[in-house]
Amino acid sequence: MTTSPIKTAEDKSTTQMNKAAELISVSKKYPFVKTAHKDIGSDFKEFWALRDVSLDIYQGQVLGIIGRNGAGKTTLLNIIAGVLSPTQGEVIVKGKILGLFNLGVGFQDELTGKENIFLNGAIVGATREELENKLNSIIEFSELGNFINMPLGTYSQGMRLRLAFSIIANLDFDILVIDEVLAVGDALFQSKCFQRLMDFRRAGKTLIITTQSMELIERLCDRVTLLDHGSLLFQGNTLEGINRYRSLLNTEEFFVGPEKQKVCLFENTKKWAEDVSNWGQKLGTKEVTIDSVEFINKFGLKSNQIKSKEPLKIKVYFTAKDNIKEPHFGIAIFRNDGVYCYGPNTEFDGYKIPEIKAGRGWFALDYHQILLAPGEYQVSVAIWDKNETLAFDYHNGCHKLIIQGPRNTNGLLRMPFKVYPKSFINFRRSDINVDLNTLIDKWGKRIETDQIIIESVKLLNYLNEEKEVFKTNEPVKLLINFSKLINYSKNAYLWVGLYRDDGVYCQGITQGLGKGKNFKIVFPKLPLLPGGYRISLGIWDSLSRRFLICHHAVYPFHMVFNRQDHGTIFLEHKWALSTKEMRIK
Amino acid sequence: MVSIIKDVIAKRSLIYQLVLKDLKIRYLRPLLGFFWAFLSPFLVVVIFYIVFSMILKVKTEEAPFLLYLMSAVFSWRFFQDSLLSATTSLVDNKNLIKESSFSHYLIPISIVLANAINFFPSLVIVVVTSLFVLKGLPIYILFLPIVLGIHLSLAIGLSIILSIAYVKWRDIKYILEAVLLFLFYLTPVFYSIKLVKDSFSPFLFSAYIYNPLVGILNLYRATILKDFFIYIEKYVSLSSLIIVPAGFAIAILVLGFYFYKKNKNSINDYLSY
Repeated sequence: MTTSPIKTAEDKSTTQMNKAAELISVSKKYPFVKTAHKDIGSDFKEFWALRDVSLDIYQGQVLGIIGRNGAGKTTLLNIIAGVLSPTQGEVIVKGKILGLFNLGVGFQDELTGKENIFLNGAIVGATREELENKLNSIIEFSELGNFINMPLGTYSQGMRLRLAFSIIANLDFDILVIDEVLAVGDALFQSKCFQRLMDFRRAGKTLIITTQSMELIERLCDRVTLLDHGSLLFQGNTLEGINRYRSLLNTEEFFVGPEKQKVCLFENTKKWAEDVSNWGQKLGTKEVTIDSVEFINKFGLKSNQIKSKEPLKIKVYFTAKDNIKEPHFGIAIFRNDGVYCYGPNTEFDGYKIPEIKAGRGWFALDYHQILLAPGEYQVSVAIWDKNETLAFDYHNGCHKLIIQGPRNTNGLLRMPFKVYPKSFINFRRSDINVDLNTLIDKWGKRIETDQIIIESVKLLNYLNEEKEVFKTNEPVKLLINFSKLINYSKNAYLWVGLYRDDGVYCQGITQGLGKGKNFKIVFPKLPLLPGGYRISLGIWDSLSRRFLICHHAVYPFHMVFNRQDHGTIFLEHKWALSTKEMRIK
Repeated sequence: MVSIIKDVIAKRSLIYQLVLKDLKIRYLRPLLGFFWAFLSPFLVVVIFYIVFSMILKVKTEEAPFLLYLMSAVFSWRFFQDSLLSATTSLVDNKNLIKESSFSHYLIPISIVLANAINFFPSLVIVVVTSLFVLKGLPIYILFLPIVLGIHLSLAIGLSIILSIAYVKWRDIKYILEAVLLFLFYLTPVFYSIKLVKDSFSPFLFSAYIYNPLVGILNLYRATILKDFFIYIEKYVSLSSLIIVPAGFAIAILVLGFYFYKKNKNSINDYLSY
């Protein structure tokens, strides 16, 4: 179970109001019976659906209960409505309470709509006379017309909702509980329901609703309660609650065991962050807010245009509302098509920040060298709580960074390397701009010619041992041996492409062929981050603009690292914090 | 106990709706509708008559065999059907129950009542047949409602206990089927009580008499069949004939409501899955 460090906010404005219902430290445990099914019994001895939930529900207010699936919302509603009884704690309800739970509940398919009105009405405690008096208004509100005399089995989900809501909406109650069913109705009926609910609110009735539609919550609710894993995370202002819920939604995977939780969390955040459609969003509970983000070049000047292979400092100013224990900072760079370049955070880097004090402050990330190819990038900045379950503030892909360089390339990276033998042939760089479009559909395939034969391609570590797995930042040599290399023009060049397993073009290397048949490419430090990679190799004729030979993504290798990191390339960096509280663990 | 009776009375319109629902589901779709409530017992009588009277040639001294059989088999069937359908009733109707704070016992009560209404036409058939065949009815026919009441209470009490227990222990259904089959043969539905007296030891026979269903079936016969009472008095004393079933019925009913009170908070938890 995840506990949030965020305390429940008390809103003082409501203390003078009358309580319609009150939950005092309510917990609910579901018992599980022995079954012939061994699978269920082993892991699920018992299940606490709610833990220590205290809640005040004020008369005439609309309370929204939000949280992810399985957070305990329905259990909570059932307990308020008296359908379930709490295992621990106490529930005090004043007045008559009605509930609208799952559709089809309380209905009999064999009976007609009209007959179901009487049955359903009787179940929720209405007398026959009351129902007979209200029959017409119920049928009218439902707009079911002649269908009211058809068996309920012929109804669609939406029609069932119409009937169910119409019955409830015409009966007398003090508190109404509605569980996630309104979404089934069509837009017209939904707005009709909405109108009726507003009428109830004006009439001083108390409403408690759950729905995944934050729009509805925002329009309808006076207050919200945020539940997660059976615990109450927040109670108070609607917008604030919705924000907290949204940030919760984006940070954590569902029912994962505590030991797996952390890894999944990172993975999930990564996936979410890489989705370009989520960019530009600012999320978080705003306990700490990011005020501004600055890019600083090697001269110490603010500029979002940085030269490739030069130092870059990213400085983030923030304001904390309160003292925050053990926050984490993270900054991630994405290429503007969503490719994750690098996203270090203080957690991965082993920095421990005991506390940030209330007030303004800043933190900074210093890159020694931005080994990224020229192009446009987006930067995400986040301040997390200590468990990384909640972001205090999260600017996702909000800050544009432009990397400038000598020429545009298709690649992502500019990792330093050396090629032997050095070519003495002069060429204009634009001439050898390899057209990668000619390689579409050739992934993993070979374009061959009998003029040229590639004898071997080897990857060596610093001990000259042939390997397929390397550690990030290990020296790597690539040996290429042609056994036959005849009849090529002066316009032919060796091209070596580094690809990520998913097809992202990391870096291309071009080199004049010279006279030799053996080539050696040396990376003094190969900074690629863990994952699968592939090497492409070819000879490009810049006059005919085609490959004479090409083995495209044929040679795989793997990268591993002794620590967690996100992205494609490790960029050397260090963190700094305004107050000198940051220290390496 | 008093509060529960008050609650039952207060919820009478709900019970009415539930009974109505049960009967509607049962009789709305068949073409012959409620006529089946007459037809189906009639068919049973025909079959029993063929099997027992014409093939097996069973004879009873107390009354003509057909009447003897009819007077018990319908009340037995009512009892058996009530228990079987009531046992699974809470689970079957969980979608009704999970909607509101619901007094669960209303469901088994309504099931038993619906079965009782279903049973009523066959009772009428028996009484009318008895009137014509035996040329008259005993004065005790006036006590028939009391006998019915005892029978109903016993069925309701057992139904409440079984339906709640079934929510937790789903094996109960199968156990109940076996027990009911055994009880059927332990009750003088199609044989004369004289047979039992002759073949059982006195101790076993008195144990046999304390089966409340023996009492109830004989009470039915005493109130419907002319001169049956005089006959049965030779084997069973009047006190045990009335007190045993009535005592059982009240005890079971109280136990049923007590059982409900103890379990009511956890029933919905187990109904969830």
